[in-house]
Amino acid sequence: MAPSQVFDRRKTPETTATGQVPTTRSRRRRASPSLIALAFLAPALISLIVLRIAPAAVALWESLFRQSLLQGGTVFVGLGNYGDLFGNADFTNALLVTLVFSLIVNPLQIGAAFLLAVLYTRKAAGAKIWRSLVVLPIAVPPAVSAVVWSVIYRPDGLGNSFLALLGLPAQPFLTSPQQSLASIMVLLSWIGIGYWMLFLIAGINDVPSELYEAASIDGASAWRKLWSVTFPLVRRPLAFVLVADTVSNFLIFAPVQILTKGGPSGSSNLLMYDIYTRAYTLGDLSKAQAEVIILVLLTLIIVALQFRLLRSSDAA
Amino acid sequence: MNLLGSEDPTTFAPVIAAFKTKNPDITVKYAQVPFDQLNPTLQQRLGAKDDTIDLYTVDQPRLSQLAAQGFLEDLSTLKEQTKAAVPDAQYSVNLYQDKLWALPVWNSTQLMFFNKKSLDAAGIAYPSIDPAQRMTWEQIAKDGKAAQAAGTQFGLLLEQVEAYYQLQPLAESLGGGSGITGDKMLTTDITNTGWEKAMQWYSDTFSSGLSPRGVGGFQTSPLFTSGKVAYFVGGPWDIGNFAKSDIDWGVAPMPYFAGGSQATPTGSWSWGINPASKNKAAAKKFLEFASLDPAGNLATTDATTIIPANTAATAHYLPKLEALGGAKTTGLANLIAHENTQTATPRPVSVGYIQFEELMGKAFADIRNGSPVDERLKQATQQINDAWKQL
Repeated sequence: MAPSQVFDRRKTPETTATGQVPTTRSRRRRASPSLIALAFLAPALISLIVLRIAPAAVALWESLFRQSLLQGGTVFVGLGNYGDLFGNADFTNALLVTLVFSLIVNPLQIGAAFLLAVLYTRKAAGAKIWRSLVVLPIAVPPAVSAVVWSVIYRPDGLGNSFLALLGLPAQPFLTSPQQSLASIMVLLSWIGIGYWMLFLIAGINDVPSELYEAASIDGASAWRKLWSVTFPLVRRPLAFVLVADTVSNFLIFAPVQILTKGGPSGSSNLLMYDIYTRAYTLGDLSKAQAEVIILVLLTLIIVALQFRLLRSSDAA
Repeated sequence: MNLLGSEDPTTFAPVIAAFKTKNPDITVKYAQVPFDQLNPTLQQRLGAKDDTIDLYTVDQPRLSQLAAQGFLEDLSTLKEQTKAAVPDAQYSVNLYQDKLWALPVWNSTQLMFFNKKSLDAAGIAYPSIDPAQRMTWEQIAKDGKAAQAAGTQFGLLLEQVEAYYQLQPLAESLGGGSGITGDKMLTTDITNTGWEKAMQWYSDTFSSGLSPRGVGGFQTSPLFTSGKVAYFVGGPWDIGNFAKSDIDWGVAPMPYFAGGSQATPTGSWSWGINPASKNKAAAKKFLEFASLDPAGNLATTDATTIIPANTAATAHYLPKLEALGGAKTTGLANLIAHENTQTATPRPVSVGYIQFEELMGKAFADIRNGSPVDERLKQATQQINDAWKQL
């Protein structure tokens, strides 16, 4: 509605001045508001199609074929690549590792980011300095932080020196199948918590202070205020953080490539890394495309589930 | 004509200039693609029969795949000439199905470096640089432990801890072979006694603390130059850096297993001609200059530290390399010449080499971190066979 009103009002003086009322008006009217909206949206839509939808469609199409290096041909195999993948121990292991990883790392990062956001929005001495320190790791490129952490995690590195200082036994970190995934989670949280905290701080700062005052007058404890005032009112930024963090954690690649190469014994072989090895080192592009499709579907299902849960709690 | 490779343009400037002086009518233009993009770029452009690439650098283990795909011009007419000009191992790696597909330009080998201060502290004699007095791995492990007892943090470290290039000789020395056999070179053979014994020994060096776990490729040589390692197995490319470091070091032949055969890594880059090229004659002329002509081959090493593939060029080059390390590397030229011709064991020529190398790398990493050896080698066999099915 609004655009056409603006449009008409602008045209009125012109038409009266020139006297060309019928032709101009009818021609202008034909450009309907939805066409104009489409024109404005075109750059975004075109990039969406070219950069997102087309590659996904190509991946889906190519995942139905198989290329042979020696025979030099391409054969249609239908869902054969998918069947092969689910029969492949390395792939099923990567799928399992990715699910376990997501199940632990997302709540951990969001919980910590939320608590830190609450902490750093309190008016305390040096809160802003502490906040900056937590946010600082974002400025370090992921590949560089992975290299830094590889030194920390070395058996004779900083991590074990620190443990020794506390009188704790040395840990194998990245060289143990039991600890490698957890070590990667710690590194990612070191970067991620500060980043997601920023969004939550913005949300918390938007909560009107009167609500806290009212709660105080009612005699609510700090815990009660956090649970009954802050938490419900930051649900929107929290929902964004939940979805964005989940998606970004499904796409983790650089730390795995630099620190563990998926090992030891496949214990940190996340799907993104498995796709990379399959496509570029094993040269099996078709199966890698099938794996991309599986990863996209998995992400979509989990994000849809999250939206559903958030919506039902909105209604409640 | 156009040359495509992954080296910095300054590396090939001397050979291009030297060629131009001899052949003023041919201009060579060099284009660089970063190493990790070289293979995808070649796959794409050669697959599309792009005629703007005339000559390109070929990573030797990838040669058979490129030849099988039809991305290399048959150079079999140069067989005799090549065989005469380069060491045997550098000739055979360029053959696939009895045809010659590329000419070798660079070569490599491995050497054992030792930390003199560390050995002095433990009262261990320095190993000799004479290949006739090559040490055994068993002795190195024993001496390395003694050095550790005398205060050095680690006894032994291999530069490329998880790379097939450096670990193949362990299995070869115990008679395990390269790991690939069969007429088509597509049969995995890594669960034989030789491989199992070699990998068990390698696994033990980590579980006993002789070698450090968790130290990656780019951290290994700094560990040696900081004096924390007694014995270090690395390449000729380390000599320049080690010469600049503060520690006192020496160099000896890469060890072998007692009673086993002597095997050392070899191989580097060859160059090959694009079958779709329109300047094949010029490309071939330049290729012959850079590989078969000693002066031309030597010019490819002017701006970098790498062993030239041509035997006559190597003879000129090695004294220069030896001088780089000063008194520490006296005898190095003889040692490398010996390894090139007597112990060099090339990586297997197989269309499935790329998958093999990648999956073996993962197996080496797991074995290093304590995975049971025979189980992990069986798993690797399964993974490699699986990856080869799609070929």
